[in-house]
Amino acid sequence: MSILATKDTHVVIQGGVAGVNAAKRMAEFRYMIKQPLNVSAFVYPPDAGKTNDIICGTELVAVPIYKTVAEATANHPEINTSLVYVGANRAYEGSLDALNDPKIHTVSMITEGLPEKDSKLLGKHARKLGKVFNGPSSIGVVSAGECRLGVIGGAFDNLTACKLYRPGSFGVITKSGGLSNEIIWICSQFADGITTAIGIGGDAYPGTDYVSYLEMFENDLSTKAVVIVGEMGGDLEERAAEWYGAKKRRIKLLAVVSGFCQESLPKGMKFGHAGAKEGLKGEGSARAKSEALKKSGAIVPDTFGALGPAIKATHEELLKSGEVKAIPDLAPADVPRLPKTVAEAKKDGEVLVAPLIRSTISDDRGDEPLYQGYPASELINSGYDIPHIIGLLWDNRLVSKQEAEIIKRIIMLSADHGPCVSGALTTVIAACAGIGLSQAVAAGMIMIGPRFGGAVTDAGRWFKYAIDNKMSVEDFLAYMKQNVGPVPGIGHRVKSLKNPDKRVKELVGYVKSLGMNTPHLDFALEVEKITSVKKDNLILNVDGTMAAVLVDIKFPVDSLNGFFILARTIGMIGHWTDQKRQGSRLIRLFDYLVNYASPKRREVPPLK
Amino acid sequence: MAKVLEGPGMGLLQKWGLKTPNYVVVSSADEFDQLASANDWLSSSKLVVKAHEALGSRFKLGLVKVGLDLAAAKSAVRDMLGKQVESVTIKQVIVSQAIDHTEEYYAAAQSTRDGVEIMTTTYGGVEVEANWDKVKRILVDIGETPTDSALAGLAKDAGFTGDTASKMAEFLKKLFICFDNEDAQYLEINPVVKDGNGDLIALDAVTLLDGDAKFRHKDWTFPFAAEFGRAYTKNEEEVMAVDAKVKGSVKLIEIPGGNIAMLPAGGGASVYYSDAVVARGGKLANYAEYSGDPPDWAVEVLTEKVCSLPKLKHIIVGGAIANFTDVKKTFGGIINAFRKAKGEGKLDGVKIWVRRGGPNEKQGLAAMSALKDEGFDIHVFDRTTPLTDIVDMAMAAN
Repeated sequence: MSILATKDTHVVIQGGVAGVNAAKRMAEFRYMIKQPLNVSAFVYPPDAGKTNDIICGTELVAVPIYKTVAEATANHPEINTSLVYVGANRAYEGSLDALNDPKIHTVSMITEGLPEKDSKLLGKHARKLGKVFNGPSSIGVVSAGECRLGVIGGAFDNLTACKLYRPGSFGVITKSGGLSNEIIWICSQFADGITTAIGIGGDAYPGTDYVSYLEMFENDLSTKAVVIVGEMGGDLEERAAEWYGAKKRRIKLLAVVSGFCQESLPKGMKFGHAGAKEGLKGEGSARAKSEALKKSGAIVPDTFGALGPAIKATHEELLKSGEVKAIPDLAPADVPRLPKTVAEAKKDGEVLVAPLIRSTISDDRGDEPLYQGYPASELINSGYDIPHIIGLLWDNRLVSKQEAEIIKRIIMLSADHGPCVSGALTTVIAACAGIGLSQAVAAGMIMIGPRFGGAVTDAGRWFKYAIDNKMSVEDFLAYMKQNVGPVPGIGHRVKSLKNPDKRVKELVGYVKSLGMNTPHLDFALEVEKITSVKKDNLILNVDGTMAAVLVDIKFPVDSLNGFFILARTIGMIGHWTDQKRQGSRLIRLFDYLVNYASPKRREVPPLK
Repeated sequence: MAKVLEGPGMGLLQKWGLKTPNYVVVSSADEFDQLASANDWLSSSKLVVKAHEALGSRFKLGLVKVGLDLAAAKSAVRDMLGKQVESVTIKQVIVSQAIDHTEEYYAAAQSTRDGVEIMTTTYGGVEVEANWDKVKRILVDIGETPTDSALAGLAKDAGFTGDTASKMAEFLKKLFICFDNEDAQYLEINPVVKDGNGDLIALDAVTLLDGDAKFRHKDWTFPFAAEFGRAYTKNEEEVMAVDAKVKGSVKLIEIPGGNIAMLPAGGGASVYYSDAVVARGGKLANYAEYSGDPPDWAVEVLTEKVCSLPKLKHIIVGGAIANFTDVKKTFGGIINAFRKAKGEGKLDGVKIWVRRGGPNEKQGLAAMSALKDEGFDIHVFDRTTPLTDIVDMAMAAN
């Protein structure tokens, strides 16, 4: 049994991020007591029509978001409670909507900083309608084993530590949010826990004061005692005292009031207006409240520290009189626990997760990337260069200084070949069409294939095939003619013996100068000797040269196209930024560059 | 509650049709001279000169001069501006027209739980305190407006007669309208007097407005003044500036002469901690609190200020079991400031007492305990130790 927040409570939450967070906490509570989520809807106009996904145990529940309270209750007729997480400048209107909704009976406002006038008006309106407006500045309401409104109770492990999964016998009413949690804890340690704990908020004029809730507790037979935590200012504690003393009450009342320190504080801390005369008679002071409560028959410990023992004594009386029975504690294994995330379960060694992907080249989990285990910064600071990174990430090894130099030259030679070639031209056209950088470069890269830039791998594959099978040049050419077609790496649109490709000359010259063993390059040059005799332009092109050299320095065949792609990206990016810098306009091919070979204009035959 | 000084207070009364004397608020003697040339009343009337600062007992401090002619007023203005009184430098002075009068009345409106209480008595001025039982009042329910007959009845009850009674009823009506429209919490006009024309005029106003309503008052361009009879200290102002910026809150009030510093969490728990210190005869060096999961740097600033209080013996880092304030994160801010303060020698001989619960409490408390290894005299307790026991322990350790 409980008050205000019960197993029949269904909630609409008005607000954005803060409201979603509250729903999350409420879901954890419901999971703890093995009940479904009791948040039916959100009201948040900016996101109306969407849903908020709330984790409930191991499931995600999609809770719809509406523009107005009326829409929410029309679509979810079970709603009877609203939580207001709307900002102070709109909270009044939001709460009024909720109170005026025929379905909603209880509105609890979390918002702080609501103007007092608004607070008073909402309280009056609620009373007129026979409804409950709780707050403002309320941390929420929680009924053990039944329902939680808001984040009161905190994290999950606190919920279970305070045994909020099952009801006890003590009701709690506090102004302070933090202290509500403390009293819940004290009741669970010194007594048998709570029935319902309510934060009424610390504003000067709470929508609902102690008396209304005391009345509800008095009518809730499962609540045997109520703990009030009050403070100086206002007269809520005095009214509670008046109520308690008005006639014999079933519930026991315990109360502490803070603010005795005001008496000893320097004069400067008092308000200096005529109203303070009221204070001269001691009204509104902590002492006056304490006295009033004591006179009414409540148990009023002198200090906060004495509250725990007072609660304990009260509980023992209840046990003795038979009004309550001792509630056995749950065995530790039975205490509810939140489901672990996969990461947590893995950390605790409770779950075996079969990886989806196996990666051998790099590791990003530390403070900097590891390339094949080598920290990037250390490679940098030890003088390694980009070609070494290529070797590590493409072939899982640290290449030698010599090999690095070769790779570097290959990249430098292949970085760009002007704006006319397929890849660059495509990137230029894309840039002039207003396409973004990565898309334009991607477009250029799509051009890399059998006829442009993409022959490196195939050239390498076949030169390697020849060497591996100890073929002669003639056998090789015959084999290729029979089974493959033109030799990849041989031939160029423009370059020829008469118009040689200096890139090839440079690369070959450099490699040769190193005195390395280069069987593939040597073979390729032999092949060129034969093919260039047949036709002038059947020279060893730059793709073929790169391929032969790279195979000679032991790069796997499948990685070879990567060198061209990587290098040419430098040029493509350059072409894009170049066109952007110039503010170039859209390019359209001139029609005189097209051979229009489609049929001349003719009559359209009748449709048959 | 936001206190508003006389100048803006009078301005609000005027806005709603209540009569006030002419007045000017000036920040320099030159400004006053210029205004004097431009406004006849400054030369032709007797003047009252008051320091326009949030100070209590201004009359006793010689900061209220009455019955002055313009020359004397100019001299008084020059004297007061720039004067250092307690912790305040007088930056503004208000000069108002003295109104010759015989009777002094009292009128006030105050916020109550059910609405607004309107109060009045013919025994106004300095007499009102001694005659408090003669103050008559009516309660206006929230959302309603007092009827003319109710106000007429109140004026009669309070002892007003004839024309004055109807004038006071009218005055009270306007006072209510001002109160209601300006989201006021307390408006006290003492004294209300009759001017030369027989009209009721407000000679002074104590104005407390609901600071939370500021968002709907674009014309509240005036600053709010400190409410406790002294200006805010530099540390308090810096903490207030941080408080205004962040989610959650941080608060600080300095109390000279104390040696037990407070650094508790929560508006509620913090008062219980203060009570515990006072109950055991300790002397508070400050009041403070942080709550609502403020960012760690905000709590660090607060801690920094607390650590710089002079002659400390103990720092109480207390708190209940938080609902959503991250204990690890907020403690991180406190620990940063502790380290800095220790490095500056501020924590020599100071004992630190910690008690807290809430999200990530274990890590937070562990981080505090680890400070022992850095030479801090720190004692850390968790939720199993009752809330304010650390105060008992601190007092016993003396």
